[in-house]
Amino acid sequence: MPYKHTDSNTCSDVGLIVTGNDLSQLFSDAAVGLIAVTAEPEELVEQKAVDLKLAAESLEDLFYSWLSEVVYLKDAQNLLVCRCEISISQEPPFMLTGKVYGDIIDRMRHTLKVDVKAVTYYRLRVEKKNDHWEAEAVLDL
Amino acid sequence: MNRKSVVKVTENIWEISPDYKAGMIVPARIYSSPELIDGIDEKVIDQITNVACLPGIQKYSYCMPDGHVGYGFPIGGVAAFDIEGGIISPGGIGFDINCGMRLLRTNLTLDDIRPKLETLLDDLFTTIPSGVGSSGYVKLNNSQFRQIMKNGVGWCVENGYASDSDCEHIENNGCLDHADPDAVSAKAVSRGINQMGTLGSGNHYLEVEIAAPENIFDRKAAEQFGIHMDNQVLISIHCGSRGFGHQIATDYLQTFGKCAAKYGLVVRDKELMSAPIDSEEGRRYFNAMACAANAAFVNRQLIVHGVRASFERVFKGASARPLIETIYDVAHNIAKREVYEIDGRKKTVLVHRKGATRSFGPGSREIPEKYRSVGQPVIVGGSMESGSALLRGTEIADNTTFGSSLHGAGRTMSRIKAKQKMHGGEVKSRMKERGILVKTGYMKGLSEEAGYAYKNIDQVIEAVDTAGISKKVARFYPVLNIKG
Repeated sequence: MPYKHTDSNTCSDVGLIVTGNDLSQLFSDAAVGLIAVTAEPEELVEQKAVDLKLAAESLEDLFYSWLSEVVYLKDAQNLLVCRCEISISQEPPFMLTGKVYGDIIDRMRHTLKVDVKAVTYYRLRVEKKNDHWEAEAVLDL
Repeated sequence: MNRKSVVKVTENIWEISPDYKAGMIVPARIYSSPELIDGIDEKVIDQITNVACLPGIQKYSYCMPDGHVGYGFPIGGVAAFDIEGGIISPGGIGFDINCGMRLLRTNLTLDDIRPKLETLLDDLFTTIPSGVGSSGYVKLNNSQFRQIMKNGVGWCVENGYASDSDCEHIENNGCLDHADPDAVSAKAVSRGINQMGTLGSGNHYLEVEIAAPENIFDRKAAEQFGIHMDNQVLISIHCGSRGFGHQIATDYLQTFGKCAAKYGLVVRDKELMSAPIDSEEGRRYFNAMACAANAAFVNRQLIVHGVRASFERVFKGASARPLIETIYDVAHNIAKREVYEIDGRKKTVLVHRKGATRSFGPGSREIPEKYRSVGQPVIVGGSMESGSALLRGTEIADNTTFGSSLHGAGRTMSRIKAKQKMHGGEVKSRMKERGILVKTGYMKGLSEEAGYAYKNIDQVIEAVDTAGISKKVARFYPVLNIKG
């Protein structure tokens, strides 16, 4: 699995660590990994697509904005993101453009777990490690 | 951390001097007990000493006995900043703005509800939306939500969801008057507008509890708070401003990150990002925070309305109509503008309470008149296995901790570790054996919230009682619990 959920050291929350061959894959898997805290990914069916365009001054800030957007879509549009088609510019200004696909929350059909309420800056990082990328975020539950 | 740096001052206060870390403006103080202090996380020490470096901080950076690691501030953190030159920080308030506690009393006793406990649990669970994706029973348009942001529980009174008495027994009467809806993003509104009247998930809950006579420690205060029957039924509600408050915190953390350099603020921890209180960004956040605080008061009030309807249904035809009244409602994630005597003169400060409750002593004009002889009710939420506690505010708190005390038991174990220890079903069975019925939409989540994941609430309240920053009134044990 390209993501794992970890102890966050803050007791009440959960950490998310993701690896990817490139930034697009890294960010996509992070979004799926975030939603996996709340719902079972295998139960999700693509029902809706949303276009997104984000910009930030650093990759970490872009990662924060991206995951925050996934949380926002869950609450405001009941959208559980399960697949992403995105591209990310690796040079400043950092831009993310593309589309996310997801399922609409259905309390009868989905095994719903604990809600992700926010993304934090605690231990937030996006790093290039030899031939791959790695990112970490702690999610407020 | 060098534990030698944490010096015992009294039986329940430990201090870390400003020499501990470069940049500390004031010492840090931990309220705790000999049993609890050894378990304090080193990261908490790091966090309260970071807070002690923030511009404008007054007297001490405090941590309450239920303290544990948070974002920026620890949970259980209290700090006051001079409004002249001081800062405001979302990390000192929490993502869930005005997360808080509502305590209700009823005219029922355990004997009255015992035959219908399971029916009551089912009805409450059906009536009060909880868990992921739940939406409130009140459908709001943008104009109505704007009124909620601005008027708080006043909107509920106007629309039949609250009584005047409810309003009088809520911190600030359920409305922070500096709320400015124009300081709130459209995204925050769209996250919050469908969530009013919902519990949420995680550590949020609704609990039916019993005030057993042997657990009343201060009968005079208990009676003043309307607890006067043996085994009286009470209801406690723990939740906040839901996605609305979280979005406001997320928005302003990003805003403050961009303006830190402009104001020359040193960012030791991105979760401690702040802005001068007297800056455009700081003022806007303070006024947006008030919108979220007002929405949280409304959220809890709409849940109360649902609880009343549920009791009416379940006890229809009973000899006495169920009467459910608000004892008090307190915020434990908030910043408030308050006046204290500091270094011999009155000073207006912005008190940040994050996982900490206001604890105003007797005589305060900020608390309901009938409570002024005993002090403000301080409602302390425990784990779903331990029940909650009611304390009262004191003059000592007014004079030492900026009128602040603890808020809960405080976690000691991560969710992942708690889940590995026991299955949700086992936790449910264990609770049933002890007379507590629990209902949740997420069974595995029960183990995340089990009693073993929290500090011993009795030790925690004993610490503040001995220190005198609030005094024990009563402990309540749970019989029904709804988890989001």
